[in-house]
Amino acid sequence: MHQSAYIVNTGLISAIGNDTATCLDALVTGRSGVGKAQYLQTHWRDELPVAEVKLSNAELAKLAGADKDWPRTAFLSLIAAREAWQPYADKGEGLRVGFFSANTVGGMDLTEDFYASFLQNANAGNIASVANHECGAVTELVSNHLGIYDFVTTISTACSSSANSIMMAAQMIGRGMLDIAVAGGADSLSKFTLNGFNTLMILDKLPCQPFDQNRRGLNLGEGAAYVLLMSEKAMQQCGATSICRVSGYANTNDAYHQTASSPEGTGNKMAMLKALKVAGLQPADIDYINLHGTGTANNDSSEGLAVSVVFGDKVPMASSTKGFTGHTLGASGAVEAVFSALSIRDGIVFPNIRWQTQMEDVPWKPVTELKQGCDIRHVLSNSFGFGGNCSSLIFSKS
Amino acid sequence: MDIYIHSAGIISAAGDNSNEAFLASAPAYDADRLLCDGIDYTAYIPAMQLRRMSKAVRMGVVAAKICMQRAGIEKPDAISIGTGLGCLNDTEHFLSKMVTQDEQMLTPTSFIQSTHNTVGGQIALLSGCHGHNLTFVQRGHSFENAVINTALYLDENPFHNMLTGGIDELTETSLAVLKRAGVYSAEPRGPESILHHTRPGSIAGEGSGFLLMAKSAKRGALCIKGLSLFVTKDTGVALRKVDDFLQQQQLTSGDIDLVMLGTNGDGKYEAFYHQLAQSIFQNNSRAAFKHLSGEYPTAGAFALALLSHVAGMGDIPSFLLAGPPPRRLKHIVLVNNYVNHYSCWHLTVA
Repeated sequence: MHQSAYIVNTGLISAIGNDTATCLDALVTGRSGVGKAQYLQTHWRDELPVAEVKLSNAELAKLAGADKDWPRTAFLSLIAAREAWQPYADKGEGLRVGFFSANTVGGMDLTEDFYASFLQNANAGNIASVANHECGAVTELVSNHLGIYDFVTTISTACSSSANSIMMAAQMIGRGMLDIAVAGGADSLSKFTLNGFNTLMILDKLPCQPFDQNRRGLNLGEGAAYVLLMSEKAMQQCGATSICRVSGYANTNDAYHQTASSPEGTGNKMAMLKALKVAGLQPADIDYINLHGTGTANNDSSEGLAVSVVFGDKVPMASSTKGFTGHTLGASGAVEAVFSALSIRDGIVFPNIRWQTQMEDVPWKPVTELKQGCDIRHVLSNSFGFGGNCSSLIFSKS
Repeated sequence: MDIYIHSAGIISAAGDNSNEAFLASAPAYDADRLLCDGIDYTAYIPAMQLRRMSKAVRMGVVAAKICMQRAGIEKPDAISIGTGLGCLNDTEHFLSKMVTQDEQMLTPTSFIQSTHNTVGGQIALLSGCHGHNLTFVQRGHSFENAVINTALYLDENPFHNMLTGGIDELTETSLAVLKRAGVYSAEPRGPESILHHTRPGSIAGEGSGFLLMAKSAKRGALCIKGLSLFVTKDTGVALRKVDDFLQQQQLTSGDIDLVMLGTNGDGKYEAFYHQLAQSIFQNNSRAAFKHLSGEYPTAGAFALALLSHVAGMGDIPSFLLAGPPPRRLKHIVLVNNYVNHYSCWHLTVA
């Protein structure tokens, strides 16, 4: 990196709150967002718990101040992106601003309804409802609403999508191609993803237990999160102060299987090592790892082993926060980037809730109680996805 | 920017670029869609594997293989992909079963393959590439964003190469929906009509273009000097942006040997391309490509791969040209759009 990209603000909406402060309060007080679906209309509602944002589409539209016909993912994206961007929106005169988003589901929630009519008759269904089917269309609804035009992109690499959008934003600020970036991602729950994950038999019928020997799978969640990144020059002009900076990043590929991680976590290990190298840090410098920790047998084993290889017998404090938020797929990397920034800002480490039994194949234990008053200087955040996609980000106190 | 294109792999309705037959004859059809159905994938992928791959995955994986083969490598250092609509066939397959079977008795295969980064993941898997591997889904800028990612990666890893590609597949549903939306023409059309904007909608297409990109110069290779992207519904704004780009690249009409335009037969963009041809580029040799590929969000990848291939041939087939052939091939400008997403490229032949 040529120059640093600093996180100066965050925006977040998830099952545990509609803004950053409420989500943080839930993490600190131990309030999980996993439960029975209230808004997602699905056959599986009584069997598969999810981590839903606790608002209907109509309520989200109102909160977002957006057209009621948007896909749910776009509402979530706008609410979180605006929280991050709003305080500085009128201070960036003459600065180049980019919007880096990520999602996997696009406007699928509306397409699902359209498709039912379309299957009956190719001339049926409201064509406007699929106008925002594309992942990139969801991003553009939000970037246009926020008035950000200098660079707009969407990354879709499954569950690591928004970690990658933060990486790319940091690279472009690092190279002086942009001064400011709103970077993160969004994903709403949809029947498509719920049923898809259900066919893979990796959904937990109970609230998930990441890194527990008896874990049964993941809970799907929804949400959106963005970090507001600035160069030093932009911070000065905007009167912004840094929470932390993006010091390291890496994307690697496991090249093992389309959906499963290699048993030894090859790609995971490579991502962590590369991110450390980019940051110029040693494993011992990391104070906290926000794990990908989905709660599936496969992920937690391979991630756990990869962490062991990278950190040896000195594994730092580590936890998965997916017991609170569920797995928010394309949003999860950004949700956890916000949690990482808060960990540095407030000197806290979030608990890996519902942990009961030590894993047999992983020698270390996650943090299970809230830790406060810590000096957290460097946080590593992992995000892994389908297609072998592995991303690690490092955030450092600046 | 200065990124060199060391090789290209193309899967298109006009064939693949692995053999002499490619570009051997002018396109001839009267159709509402240009499909990549005539490609023999078995030369590259065992039949067993092929059966499990959707068209998008086949097109992507095989174009990547052709590209690597032409560069003489078996594995890239990193991968960057753009796709406007992703793996539509698998998405629709899963969606349709989910709707008709009321969310029950579903199987995972099509869901697994519907993920937007399936092609990138498959290329990594088949070539054993553990490197950086991203997929961009930004409508008509998906492939162009993948190229910007390539520039960032090669800046940090100047001795590496990156396999950069664009893929989109057409399905019966996307054709029907995009006809209703006015993107695609309801009527069948011939190649000539793509070059002249007379009717609403363009001819639907699909395909895949892959390029092996590196910082290291290679004689005769196409080099990307500059890339500018913008989104607008306003023809005047679009024309001004093209002008701005040429100024920023310090290019005057006299410097340009060939202009390749994304003319697609849709009357909505006639004013834009007609103006370009009549004003800024009136004294330049001009070429088109969408009468070969059809229109789709990542057709820009086909255009760039086609230019790379043509630069290697040293001769431009007459059916690509609208007017006299260029005297030499040094500076090329490529201007393309997919709906409101425009891109301008400055390319040179090294």
